[in-house]
Amino acid sequence: MWYGYAGKLLRVNLTTKDIKIEELDQQELRKYIGCSGYAAKILYQEMPAGIDPLSPESKVVLSTGPVTGTLTPSGGSYEVCYKSPLTGTWNQARSGGAFGPKLKYAGFDFVIIEGKAEEPVYLYIYDGSVEIRCAKHLWGLNVEETTDTLIRELDDPEICIAAIGQAGENGVLYAALMNDRGRAAGRGGIGAVFGSKNLKAVVVNGHKGVKVAQPEKFAKAIEKAEQWLQNYPFQSIPLFGTVGLVSLNNSLGILPTKNFETAYFEKAEKVSGEVINKQYNIKRRACYGCNFACGRYTAVKNGKFATPPMEGPEYETVDMFGPICLVEDIEAVIRANYLCNVYGLDTISTGLSIGFVMECYEKGLLTEKDTDGLDLRWGNAEAMIKLIEKIVTKEGFGAFVAQGVKRMAEKLGPKAEEIANHVKGLEVPAHEPRSESKVIALQYAVTPRGACHMHPTWASTFDFGQLECGMKEFGMPWPPEPIPAETPTKGKAYRYVALQGEISEIVGACIFHSWGTEGSCITPQLYAEIVSALTGWDVTAEELIKAAERSWNLKRCFNGREGFTRKDDKLPKRFSQAIPNGPSKGAKVENLDTMLDAYYEAMGWDKATGLPTSEKLKELGLEFAIN
Amino acid sequence: MAKILMVDPSLCTGCHRCEMWCSLTKYGEINPSRTNVYVVRREPGIDVPVVCLQCGLCINVCPTGALKRDQKTMAVVVDGEKCVGCGKCVSVCPIGVLRIDKETKIATKCDLCGGSPACAAHCPQNAIRYENVDKVAAKRRELWAVAQAKKIKE
Repeated sequence: MWYGYAGKLLRVNLTTKDIKIEELDQQELRKYIGCSGYAAKILYQEMPAGIDPLSPESKVVLSTGPVTGTLTPSGGSYEVCYKSPLTGTWNQARSGGAFGPKLKYAGFDFVIIEGKAEEPVYLYIYDGSVEIRCAKHLWGLNVEETTDTLIRELDDPEICIAAIGQAGENGVLYAALMNDRGRAAGRGGIGAVFGSKNLKAVVVNGHKGVKVAQPEKFAKAIEKAEQWLQNYPFQSIPLFGTVGLVSLNNSLGILPTKNFETAYFEKAEKVSGEVINKQYNIKRRACYGCNFACGRYTAVKNGKFATPPMEGPEYETVDMFGPICLVEDIEAVIRANYLCNVYGLDTISTGLSIGFVMECYEKGLLTEKDTDGLDLRWGNAEAMIKLIEKIVTKEGFGAFVAQGVKRMAEKLGPKAEEIANHVKGLEVPAHEPRSESKVIALQYAVTPRGACHMHPTWASTFDFGQLECGMKEFGMPWPPEPIPAETPTKGKAYRYVALQGEISEIVGACIFHSWGTEGSCITPQLYAEIVSALTGWDVTAEELIKAAERSWNLKRCFNGREGFTRKDDKLPKRFSQAIPNGPSKGAKVENLDTMLDAYYEAMGWDKATGLPTSEKLKELGLEFAIN
Repeated sequence: MAKILMVDPSLCTGCHRCEMWCSLTKYGEINPSRTNVYVVRREPGIDVPVVCLQCGLCINVCPTGALKRDQKTMAVVVDGEKCVGCGKCVSVCPIGVLRIDKETKIATKCDLCGGSPACAAHCPQNAIRYENVDKVAAKRRELWAVAQAKKIKE
């Protein structure tokens, strides 16, 4: 009997059209708890090094965890795990909405997608039954059109659809997988992987629900989570959505601006959350089961950037299409968000790729001849919008930009590489590593998917947020040193930050709910209570942390096998240069190596290679990952 | 004064917590297809909770007398011993909040949890509240009037 899980794994081979339903092994699953942790085990064991992510041999795992779809306030999540065509590393793209919960209600915790279909197909999963269906009529449609068509054809408005748009079909290296229309498994190019497999969409609906082992105990744990989250330290997330950060970050000099040249945007108030909430917001929107409801629905009624209703833009998107490109027209930003969502593009990589080519254009590294006549000077909103459409179709200059910052810079030469802001090929998101947090600087350097602010968590909680998130009692150095410090203590602290974040990644949760302290967020201890009552396993916080460590090490091993080592754990050159103006003037990253040494040591990893030692892997029961 | 459920759709974010609390309370599981409160999410941007108005239309059509009004809560409740699952009540319910449960095979509807409805206790946005009837009546009038005004405009 399964509690908290559906207990089944679905394996679909698009080449052979084989569909297999496999029973999960409780003991084995418990070692990893689930979601991206268990997906890491699957991909490590089933996908040898060196496979081209866009080839039929690559595999994709859609994964949920025990808390997905269960009243746990953070449980509206699923993660898509795969090898990224943008970076060549491990990638996990998390998304909210209702897709994850519905997948579980349909009877599956995991879906493994293998092979390549001969012609466009979609996968239809309904209450335990699975079909590979023809999608020839959907190919070429955007995400909105695909969603509308499928709802009409299947005559079921309650289905959840994860689909790619034209960007994924055309192989844009940072194409997203969109679910529930406006929610994105955004980063790393999962959309291109779907496209390479001729897989247009995965459609799910289910009515099986989730069995709870100890309903009364579970209800008490959930009530505790509800009460604690009343005291959540980032109240602006429920009140204003993530866009509330624009003004706050600018006032602190931590708002990435002008392709990260600086961290202060004089026109920030024009693209602020206040303006979006007052003038363009239609309503608040929650992911499945979320008490915060940070999602926003916006539209632009008329004018040259008129835009139909759509989820977003989120903070990251606003920063990338606003301050990063020096665009001060919020309507253009809302339009850009809409286009990325319907065509299926990651807004962060798209925005920063455009910011990068704007700077190249201003510096003479690109001219109008290269850009098909687009005048890419800073702040040209119309050119930015036009360029998004060219990226999607990969027409002319669009095909160049569709490769992402790393590849563009390699082609443009050393001067361009100096302003190329990516780690391992993943464009840097909108958290300033020089002035917001030095722990996030370290995180950018070391996370499995490259420069990432989300997986395993937003590491700035530590020194910027001054929040221990329930890890103090497990040995996290506390209190934190001030933000500018780049010391061994911060390197050591990141071990605890990462493992705390990784708990969300294995139970299948949004990370937002895990930021705070006992009494104001879902701590590891409270997750242990929730998972225990849900599954009937007697899971302690220590066991969750151990499983998180297993997952975190395995992802590192996945990358190690692909050739990534300490030499790749580095930051773009720009972050070693001082911020030139604004409240954080002078801030820079100087001692990354000091933090790296301490971090590897705290993790039990080899300092020279930055990889887990065989002793560490043995201790974690990951003998199969020893090379 | 008696109390009843009041819904304010303008506050609903579509999180479905009410549905999950309902199924956890009634069946000890999380299953939005076994719930007696419903959240309808449609695009663009529509999230509306739908709850039983306790109007009692269903009482008269029940051939076995399984539906009756509870005098304490004023909720219309199903007597599981008498119900044969024929579905006549489902057919007359004007807003579709009655169902035949797929496991128990009997008619199932909101019984206000005997006077402390779980959905209202846990709605994070206060979109569903358990309020005194006069307040609810005023809110219902308002929603009705706004809907009419919209029709006039269109």
